[in-house]
Amino acid sequence: MANLLYCEFLKLKRSKMFFISVLGAMVAPVMVFAGLIKAKITEPNKVITYWDMLEQTNLYVLLLFGVIVYGVIAAYLFSREYTENTLKSVLTIPISKGAFLTSKFLMLFAWIMILTAVAWVSTLFLSIVGNAAEFSFDVIIQSLKEYFLGAFLLYFTMSPFVFITLWLKNLVTPIIATATVVLGNVALANEDLAVLFPWTSPYLIASGDIEKYKYSIEIAIAIIFIIFFIGVFTSFIYFKKQDIK
Amino acid sequence: MDEYIIKTTNLTKKFQEQIAVDCVNINVPQGKIYGLLGRNGAGKTTTMRMLLNLATPTSGEILLFGENRRKNPKEIYRRIGSMIETPGFYENLTGRENLQIFARLRGQQQKNSVQNALKVVGLHNETKKTFGNYSLGMKQRLGIAAAIMHEPELLILDEPINGLDPVGIQEVRKYLERLCFEKGVTILISSHILSEIEQIADIIGVMHEGRLIEEVAMKELHQRNRRYVEFVVSNENKACLLLEQKFGLTDYSVHENGSIRIYNNLEMRSKINQRFVEKGISVSKINISEEKLEDYFSSLIGGGGLG
Repeated sequence: MANLLYCEFLKLKRSKMFFISVLGAMVAPVMVFAGLIKAKITEPNKVITYWDMLEQTNLYVLLLFGVIVYGVIAAYLFSREYTENTLKSVLTIPISKGAFLTSKFLMLFAWIMILTAVAWVSTLFLSIVGNAAEFSFDVIIQSLKEYFLGAFLLYFTMSPFVFITLWLKNLVTPIIATATVVLGNVALANEDLAVLFPWTSPYLIASGDIEKYKYSIEIAIAIIFIIFFIGVFTSFIYFKKQDIK
Repeated sequence: MDEYIIKTTNLTKKFQEQIAVDCVNINVPQGKIYGLLGRNGAGKTTTMRMLLNLATPTSGEILLFGENRRKNPKEIYRRIGSMIETPGFYENLTGRENLQIFARLRGQQQKNSVQNALKVVGLHNETKKTFGNYSLGMKQRLGIAAAIMHEPELLILDEPINGLDPVGIQEVRKYLERLCFEKGVTILISSHILSEIEQIADIIGVMHEGRLIEEVAMKELHQRNRRYVEFVVSNENKACLLLEQKFGLTDYSVHENGSIRIYNNLEMRSKINQRFVEKGISVSKINISEEKLEDYFSSLIGGGGLG
């Protein structure tokens, strides 16, 4: 498995997708930074703190941009083996389909964590550049906790996109699916039902805002893991049964 | 009895109602080159994909190295190198980097195996070019390099010469022959080009519309399809004696109903006929066979050529 995972990283050498995804992870920090600059111009006396910057960015990442970027990465990781016709070369080595799929899921996890780190570091850097206020060690720790907990939970909601990719073998459909989910996030953000929507609840859990809602955190976590297992189960069953062309 | 490296029994693959491979029984002996010949869509690739566990047979059995492949797939498939249709590699990586990935996944062994494989196919100097920028011929060569890199005991190659130039085709052919002859590697190779298979294969299997309609040793096939003069005589023993003693002919064969086929010195047929008659052997028929291998296969698959 270590070899498989290592090779997944090797496959990204010179990959434009990795570079694009890093740029994608920096979109939310840049947007928030732009907001800070605008606020400094229009309301010079307004104090914008490190916490404001980090919190805002995490909201954008977990509810909007991250869902799309992570969904596209999930689709790319799996679909490239079809588009580049590499499955027949890899599986005849032989590598079991189960191990192959597992390594892809692990790679997706690693990639999401890397992008989360990129988003956090970028936000911190831009906060310094923008002269944000109230820097403290507690802010750093708390924001790190929220970023990585949110990303960790959001990762588990990516498995349905993996199944869609394996099923339809292209990038377009998962992108449409993630865009639909983002619309769902926007529509539900201030509703109690947001807790029951697995792509919204990672942010609510990570930020602690879930306490303000009617449904419990346990229900939200249960739904996230049910979605994860449905996605993983259908992906494994489908991939194992499918002939490789 | 030959030891078969590949043996299939009633191997069948259906896609919904369409039968792609229909009760195919292939027997590939150890250390031989087996050419699978057939038109496009005959079922060659599907058969190979089933052998390589890329497609699940609808029914039938596959024995590889004498074992049921399901019992110990990891060990069995480790001993096989393969290339199915156009080879697939990661486009953002160079040929060497691609092979390094496959070597690592295979848990490979010798450090210089990647370099050696690239040298064999003449890609060792292409250090900068990524696979996405390779020509079709280069892609094909890299596919062959990946297949031979781990020194497999069995090679399964689906149309490996596609996209290669004539020199490349000759090089690959010579290399495969050397592999088979010097290292005893068993090779299953498919093509829709008769002349290619004819030059390399020890045994030939002809597939048509999903069925294996012929499986025959090349030697036997050449024998069967050589140009010859056929005499149908009243006394074949006496005729044979005459052929050997008077004409010094040994390359002939005797068949049923007084038929004698002479494969050499065909221009002597009128003299032979004259001598037969003089010696009281009545000749009821003289026939010159003009059948070529290509005609033979055309007749097998119902005309229209192979390509």
